[in-house]
Amino acid sequence: MKPAASADIPTRADPVVRLRGIHKSFGSNHVLKGVNLRVERGEHIVVFGPSGSGKSTLLRTTNLLEQPDEGSVVFQGKEYGPGLEGEKLARGRPRELRQAVGMVFQQFNLFPHLSVLDNVTLGLRRVKGIDRDEAELRAATQLDRVGLLNKIGSFPSLLSGGQQQRVAIARALVMEPAVMLFDEPTSALDPELVGEVLAAMRALAEAGMTMIVVTHEMGFAREVGDFNVFMDDGVIVEEGGREIFTDAREVRTREFIKAVL
Amino acid sequence: MTLAQTSISFDFIWDNMGIFLDGVRLTIFISIVAFTLATIGGLGVALMRMSKSRIVRTLIAAYINVFRAIPLLVFILFVYYGIAISFELQVSAIQAGILALTLQYSAWLGEIFRGGIQAVSHGQREAALSLGMSRFQAFLRVVLPQAFRIAIPPTGNMFIGMIKDSSLVYLIGVPELLRVSNRLANRTFRYFEVYLATVLIYLILTTSIYFLVKYLEQRYALIDVLTAKTRRFSLFGRRRAARLRDLQEKVQEHVVAAPLEMEMHEEFEEDEPEGQAGTPSARRAPD
Repeated sequence: MKPAASADIPTRADPVVRLRGIHKSFGSNHVLKGVNLRVERGEHIVVFGPSGSGKSTLLRTTNLLEQPDEGSVVFQGKEYGPGLEGEKLARGRPRELRQAVGMVFQQFNLFPHLSVLDNVTLGLRRVKGIDRDEAELRAATQLDRVGLLNKIGSFPSLLSGGQQQRVAIARALVMEPAVMLFDEPTSALDPELVGEVLAAMRALAEAGMTMIVVTHEMGFAREVGDFNVFMDDGVIVEEGGREIFTDAREVRTREFIKAVL
Repeated sequence: MTLAQTSISFDFIWDNMGIFLDGVRLTIFISIVAFTLATIGGLGVALMRMSKSRIVRTLIAAYINVFRAIPLLVFILFVYYGIAISFELQVSAIQAGILALTLQYSAWLGEIFRGGIQAVSHGQREAALSLGMSRFQAFLRVVLPQAFRIAIPPTGNMFIGMIKDSSLVYLIGVPELLRVSNRLANRTFRYFEVYLATVLIYLILTTSIYFLVKYLEQRYALIDVLTAKTRRFSLFGRRRAARLRDLQEKVQEHVVAAPLEMEMHEEFEEDEPEGQAGTPSARRAPD
């Protein structure tokens, strides 16, 4: 059994993922301007900031849906991306990293042509090569944990947004990732459906999952975020523990928090 | 002789049914073979049309535009008389006809498939990749099936078109339905009966495609097999529903049977990494 809950209190010497000097541009638009981040085992990192600040790109770079132009993602002793001068680690292939990093998207991105159950079994069967019976049992068990066992025969388009996002969480979790990435998981939801998704994420956090969450839900951030990162204009302006929400050092951070609370 | 001089006789059609059926068989054979090849060709065309290489893209765009622009009948005559006969190639009329149909239909189907593939949102591919799938797997398992569903209705139309267009190969001497009908009519002068029968046979063939498309749309309809009340063609749905109910029961048994163990299991993970290693709960059994 690999990842899930951490046994120890996180120590600062045990990073699961490290982002080192990440730069990313889209054409002339310089979106990330040298971002460094350490993600410790069992830690819940919340990334927040105004739209266009690069937080989604940061998350997408973490599982290499975007390739960094400079810098690298370090994961399980391997380095992905062009890297930094001097220090070179063994290179890995994006697929290796993605198999161990789960991602939940703002728009859910469930596979509409597959039933709820098949959405969750797809990765197990085609990536991990697990046989159908076993994959279906694991998938159904995971769906049960997010409260959707009764929907296994349904299709994504027949579900509410909140249910869809919970299926998406189950789809990522069933792969037993070492880290879960959440890219504004509640932003596309009707207000009354936000709660059920946050509840599933809270349970996951309590179980000790390592998480990086990009969110506008400041209540959730204050409750779950062990380490909070405020981004603006492609750089990390300020980072720290819970105190960031009450005693931010930077003016920009204070202003943003005041504006969204 | 005109209609007025002969009495209309439908027995005549029954008496000659064997001749019609020979033609129908060949019509179906040509249509299915040409359409199958054109489906494969169309997929290739669609993929090459989206290739990263500009040369490939340009060449395939030229292919599409040239082959769609030539009237099919002209093209069939060109392939058989203009090329196969003129250059004394070892190609039968049937083969030449199938080739001409395939080349044109590949161009049409290629554009339909490309439209289907491009209609699948980019997030689908990203979600597949984020599960650790290769780009090929993401295309094969996630993008392509959705593209096919989008393409079912227009592809069905093309199949109907293929059955109708296969009649054009009668001009190069292929004894398919139209040609045998022609011969029969010219021999017996029973134009009304013969062509009426021909029309009806084509109608039956194309209508059956319509039902096939409808079946496919239903087969891939997005309905919850566990709650759907009635379902036509429901053998598949019933089997699937039974399987899912079994699965639900299995999961619930685990949950009900193992609440205590679950608690122990959670404690085990949080507090005592070494202890109680022997009872990691029934829920873990499948691992």
